[in-house]
Amino acid sequence: MVVIIASLALFVLYPILRVFTFPNLQDFLEIPFNARYLKAILNSLFMTALSTTTATLFGFLFAYTVTRTDVPFKKAFRFLSILPLFSPPFMVAFSYMMMFGKNGLITYQLLGLRVNIFGWHGLWLSETIAFFPIAALVMEGVLQSIAPSLEYAGRNLGATGFQLFRTITLPLARPGVAGAALLVSIQVLADFGNPIMIAGDFSVLATEAWLRVEGWGDVRGAAVLSSFLLLPSFLLFIVQRYWVRQRSYITVTGKIALVDIQKTGWYVRWLLFTFCTFVSVMILLIYVALLMGSFVKGWGFDWTPTLRYVKEILSRSPELVNSLSFALIAGLVSAVFSITSAYLVSRKQFLFRQFVDFTNILPAALPGIFFGIGYSIAFTRAPFDLYGTSAIIILSMIFWNISMGYQTGIGTFSQISPSFSEAASNLGAGSMKIFWEIEAPLVRGPFFSAFVVSFIRAVTTLSVIVFLSTSSNVVATFSIMNLVSDGFYGKAAALTSALLVVSLSVLGLAKLAIGKRMELFKV
Amino acid sequence: MEPVHLRIIDVSKSFGKVKALKNVSLDILKGSFTTFLGPSGCGKTTLLRTIAGFYDVEKGEIFIGDQLINDVPSHLRNAIMVFQDYALFPHMNIRENIIYGLKIKKFSEEKIERRLAKTVQYLGVKELLNRSPSQLSGGQQQRIALARALVMEPEVLLLDEPLSNLDARLRINIRAELRQLQKRLGITTIYVTHDQAEALALSDQVAVMNEGEIVQCGSPWEIYFRPRSAFVASFVGTANLLEGKVVESIPGSVLVDVGQGYLRLEEKGDLPPAGAKVILCIRPETIEILDQTLEGTSNILRGRVRNYIFEGSHFRYWVEAAGRELVVDVFDPAEKEIREDSILLRLPPNKIHIIPEA
Repeated sequence: MVVIIASLALFVLYPILRVFTFPNLQDFLEIPFNARYLKAILNSLFMTALSTTTATLFGFLFAYTVTRTDVPFKKAFRFLSILPLFSPPFMVAFSYMMMFGKNGLITYQLLGLRVNIFGWHGLWLSETIAFFPIAALVMEGVLQSIAPSLEYAGRNLGATGFQLFRTITLPLARPGVAGAALLVSIQVLADFGNPIMIAGDFSVLATEAWLRVEGWGDVRGAAVLSSFLLLPSFLLFIVQRYWVRQRSYITVTGKIALVDIQKTGWYVRWLLFTFCTFVSVMILLIYVALLMGSFVKGWGFDWTPTLRYVKEILSRSPELVNSLSFALIAGLVSAVFSITSAYLVSRKQFLFRQFVDFTNILPAALPGIFFGIGYSIAFTRAPFDLYGTSAIIILSMIFWNISMGYQTGIGTFSQISPSFSEAASNLGAGSMKIFWEIEAPLVRGPFFSAFVVSFIRAVTTLSVIVFLSTSSNVVATFSIMNLVSDGFYGKAAALTSALLVVSLSVLGLAKLAIGKRMELFKV
Repeated sequence: MEPVHLRIIDVSKSFGKVKALKNVSLDILKGSFTTFLGPSGCGKTTLLRTIAGFYDVEKGEIFIGDQLINDVPSHLRNAIMVFQDYALFPHMNIRENIIYGLKIKKFSEEKIERRLAKTVQYLGVKELLNRSPSQLSGGQQQRIALARALVMEPEVLLLDEPLSNLDARLRINIRAELRQLQKRLGITTIYVTHDQAEALALSDQVAVMNEGEIVQCGSPWEIYFRPRSAFVASFVGTANLLEGKVVESIPGSVLVDVGQGYLRLEEKGDLPPAGAKVILCIRPETIEILDQTLEGTSNILRGRVRNYIFEGSHFRYWVEAAGRELVVDVFDPAEKEIREDSILLRLPPNKIHIIPEA
């Protein structure tokens, strides 16, 4: 318990505080006079509003199609919409650069256009596609939790088609839409991977912070900018968690009636079908670009097939080995740590219980950039100098990902009735015995899902490690970013594909191993 | 006699491989109260939802009046349903809930107000109009759900286990009220329930369903005292079922060998011939406990009390007799002493009902 409290203080709270204490007051006061800062702030807000709107809209349409209509291939649409959740976030921007950029396969090779994808419009497209799956998943849950009898009642009382949608379905889903939008906006605001690849000169807070350090060695400026990033993120997080959740109309009834999906009007059907097909093609293009990119010599000018890049990353790529081993360790430790914390908080009374609860949830509210900057300030100088070590990366990956496992754990423990352990203790079992024999088997599912999610997030994160990676502890995502900015698309694509293969196979294996009990995405 | 209002002819429906309804036919008279009674999964809710238009009619025909409604969409049937969970729209207040259907139908403000006032007065829910559904008790929600249906002045009112989420006492009060209201308004009503007491108390006509079929349809009295199958007998109320063999059959009366004795019974209509295997059904409250054998009295079984409970209005005894256990209810127990050990049972010949064995 002491270890847990101390770790949370040192590895969650301390780096956060350092971001605020590292710059002078002066640095914060200069913000309104710094044109670059102001521009980044405005751009960030603009992009958040824009991408959140489209991503939420896309998500709602997808979820509605899947849950309420008889549009053909909706299962396939659903499957495709889930895929991007388990892929590196910057992947979308990278692929669209290859597909729709100046030498893009589609824009130039097929259509003969010279399109400049770099800028806010490219970013808008990438973020919409990258983050709409979150909204779709949330909205699907919301739409499914609406008691079917409400829509039956509406129909029975005379409402048809669009009338029913407008008067019953949409108003009931509205709190859910708000919740989804907030979740998406947190992601968009904190997004680093997409803007660094595709935004060009259009700077947002996350990329501007990175530029401060990379270009000017100005860690204080980066700290100031990322604190600014934290404020809205944190606010959105609080609102999402404590306000929207309480406003959802979830009706729990004993009997779940069979829902007969009504015949959708042909025009609605075709509109939704066309829309879903378009989005699905956009998703598929991401993967096509990555795979093709891995196997051609020079994207955009030399389309000769080659195995060079694949061989290269398979034979000698320390970054991939690092990524895998770091994420493996981080995933395991993170799962153990978060589930143990959840167990302690839900089952024991102790002095710092509130603190453990709070700091376990806190990382979920932090933009990756902010967390990374915190680590780079806190742990690359005395008294904790871990500069260039594997440890600093692994630690950041561990604590960046505890929230998910923790919340799943809390959920599980609150469902396991304490009377199990009470019965065991009544029959003479000790506290340790109770945990291992009674509760441990029940938390296997949450433990696995915590591990899988932590692993995937660790292996695919760029924002957290971008300030921590050096030549001695380089990881794949960092290397991809550099390769892309230097124009080595082939190797970058091959590395990204490798990460993708790893993430998806871990996911597939876990799914096979523990089946449906795995909860991979919690909102 | 009232004309037939709703006619169901040979209707079938399946969900995947499960046959939910098998060739169901039924006539429902105008202004009558009909109950679909049966265990869960018997198809009663499916039949109700098919009438409401939530499920397609796979095979067969449904008429309201002279109109075939197979392909008429739900909202044009004016067969309005009250849902088991009430399905009040949580994002609207009570007033908006009640007038939802009228607004959708684009009735004039004036007409809406008139109908609302009338319905609200019938159900005595005026003071609830500005509240939201979550502020209402179960009983109040139930009333509002009913109001929302009645305000539409439906051709047919459909009630899907509307009382099942209420506590026992409230259920009995609302049951009586519902029957009264229905009689006053004269709306053709179909009621779905698995509670036989509700079915008997409310209905003009009960259709007992099992495994997708209507196994018997008749007045509550017929269903209770003249069940046509062992299933109906034991599903509706408590029944003592005795297997036996007809020894002698004359018009209006038969003698049945029930193993350890003979029972004579009187019943009108066709009776099975000698040699036929039959099941006898006798209700617990019709069996009498005798103090001594009356000379020349038939239909006496000697029994031994196994167990008893006191239920307020009656004592219930479990008596071992004729090689099986019989349930016997003795009403007005205050006057009588508790019976134990050996007793004599009389099964009145006119109270025994004969079920031909299938």
